[in-house]
Amino acid sequence: MLELDFCVERRDLRVEVAFCVAGGQRVALVGPSGAGKTTVLETVAGLVRPCRGSVTLAGRVLTASGPPEVDVPVWLRRVGLLRQQVALFPHLSVAENLAYARRGLGTTATQDTLAESLGISSLLDEHPATLSGGQCQRVGICRLLLADVDALLFDEPFTGLDPELRRTVSAVTAEVVAARRLPTVLVAHELTEAQAFADLLGIVDGGRLLQLGAPHEVVRRPGSRRAAEIVGYRAFVDTSPHAVPCSTVLGVHPGRVVAGAHPDAGAVLHGTVTRWRAAGARVEVDLDVAGVTVACELEDRPPGTSADVTVLDPQWFSAVDGRALGRQSGGPAVVDPGGSTR
Amino acid sequence: MQRAHGTKHWLSLAGAGVVWLVLVAPIVTLLAHLSPSAFVAALRAPGALAPLVVSLETGAITLSVLVLGGAPLGWMLARRRLPVHRVVETGVLCALLLPPLVVGLLLVFMVGPDTPVGHAIAAIHLSATNTVLALVVAEVYESAPYFVLGVQAAVGAVDPALEVQALLLGDTPRAAARRVVLPLAAPGIAMSLAVAWARAMGAFGAVIIVAYHPYGLPLQIWTTLQETGLSSALPFALVLLVVALPLPIASYAWSVRARARLLR
Repeated sequence: MLELDFCVERRDLRVEVAFCVAGGQRVALVGPSGAGKTTVLETVAGLVRPCRGSVTLAGRVLTASGPPEVDVPVWLRRVGLLRQQVALFPHLSVAENLAYARRGLGTTATQDTLAESLGISSLLDEHPATLSGGQCQRVGICRLLLADVDALLFDEPFTGLDPELRRTVSAVTAEVVAARRLPTVLVAHELTEAQAFADLLGIVDGGRLLQLGAPHEVVRRPGSRRAAEIVGYRAFVDTSPHAVPCSTVLGVHPGRVVAGAHPDAGAVLHGTVTRWRAAGARVEVDLDVAGVTVACELEDRPPGTSADVTVLDPQWFSAVDGRALGRQSGGPAVVDPGGSTR
Repeated sequence: MQRAHGTKHWLSLAGAGVVWLVLVAPIVTLLAHLSPSAFVAALRAPGALAPLVVSLETGAITLSVLVLGGAPLGWMLARRRLPVHRVVETGVLCALLLPPLVVGLLLVFMVGPDTPVGHAIAAIHLSATNTVLALVVAEVYESAPYFVLGVQAAVGAVDPALEVQALLLGDTPRAAARRVVLPLAAPGIAMSLAVAWARAMGAFGAVIIVAYHPYGLPLQIWTTLQETGLSSALPFALVLLVVALPLPIASYAWSVRARARLLR
């Protein structure tokens, strides 16, 4: 079990988080750049010292602001961290880089199996200078998975990998984490990566953990308007009754919208099509709803210049403080371009 | 456009060739003015090889002192682990900028027989003027700044992220230095050692003030020049070159190979 509860004073930001990660559990942190995600990992690894709080791993106190004050050195923490800069040792071959981490833990057979799974077994005799960015990334991940540690931390590990490799690396990592019952924290830039990897998804913004929950739940039920923005809600439509000052807004996630009016399924929006473009096998449509541009990913382009769409499982937020009001607070609504609610 | 580029390329090559010729011209001149018989005769003269032995002995001691004291200082400067980093770095630069003759003069005031340090040394029956110790002190002062700054540059070129990664994989700082930083900085450190060796072997300005005796090779060249003329001094100049050059050349060849290995 990894337990952390600390506060780090950065020059530009105060990072204050508290959560626990059980053995074998995978937590992913997502948030905008500069939100403090990397600082969280570096504090657990001992590279950054918190001004207050503690980090405990498998019953060992690694950091405590005291009394008594505890600060276990980086090399004694048994915390593996894959940083954004993978830092393979350039004077060692790939095999030697892997063996560097393997001390006392895995056998050569373990190393070979893992290298095979990650598609780097043909690179063992190569030196890092000859590897591509994606290959370096996989060697770095393999080295970390072989390390004799009690917790794994990954800082954007999928950078430079194509979607197929991301899936492979994610699956191999999940297998190792489960087999060794290691608490694991991953920082991801893309929500889909985080969702695919994690058991729990944390939203970090402005140095604070806004929400922590099952990935599906966090995306479907964001705890605040800011959390909703971070997980991809791109439009917030005023659904207050006519002539009443705006009090609630409906959050619209482009992926949670279907064409047509289905009042039983969710909130219906009526708007004018301002733009559409192909997005893979689907179509991305911009609707002007009461002066707000609502992006929707639909099966097909709406036939006319105006269209009805239904926001599934609608989420309302307070227009005053941004807190989530849940599914029913705003009630199903039909909003037309004039701003009146029917 | 391509023609102009080609012309520029040839001009650059010609410029580099001229600079190279200017640099090697003294060595060519030395070889051109030295006959083998004169060289052998000069070295067969009684006591002719004694300065060579003195230079090799004091040079080896100087290198040991530099490795033991200068390498840690250069390393700490590179990793900014000293409390007054800028002050220390400025001090090393000042030592580099002092003319060797001035260093010699100042050494008289620092370690001469009438100074507190001189008295302390005398208490253990040593002297820092006109002794092997004095020669080593002078050579250390003339070569140390080059070595310290060279080590600083070599260690500074190793990405600190690699050191941090080694710590994250469970290495102690000492093990990380030995397994990661040292192998990567070694080519640069070897070159610094070669430069320091060349400086120590050719030390003259400070040496002539504090260590006129025993003669090392540079002083032998100087006294031979004074006493018997230019042609008699030339054989010893060649000896100095032959003794001083192998280590730098070997270090250079090794560091080129080591760097190529990193990029293969």
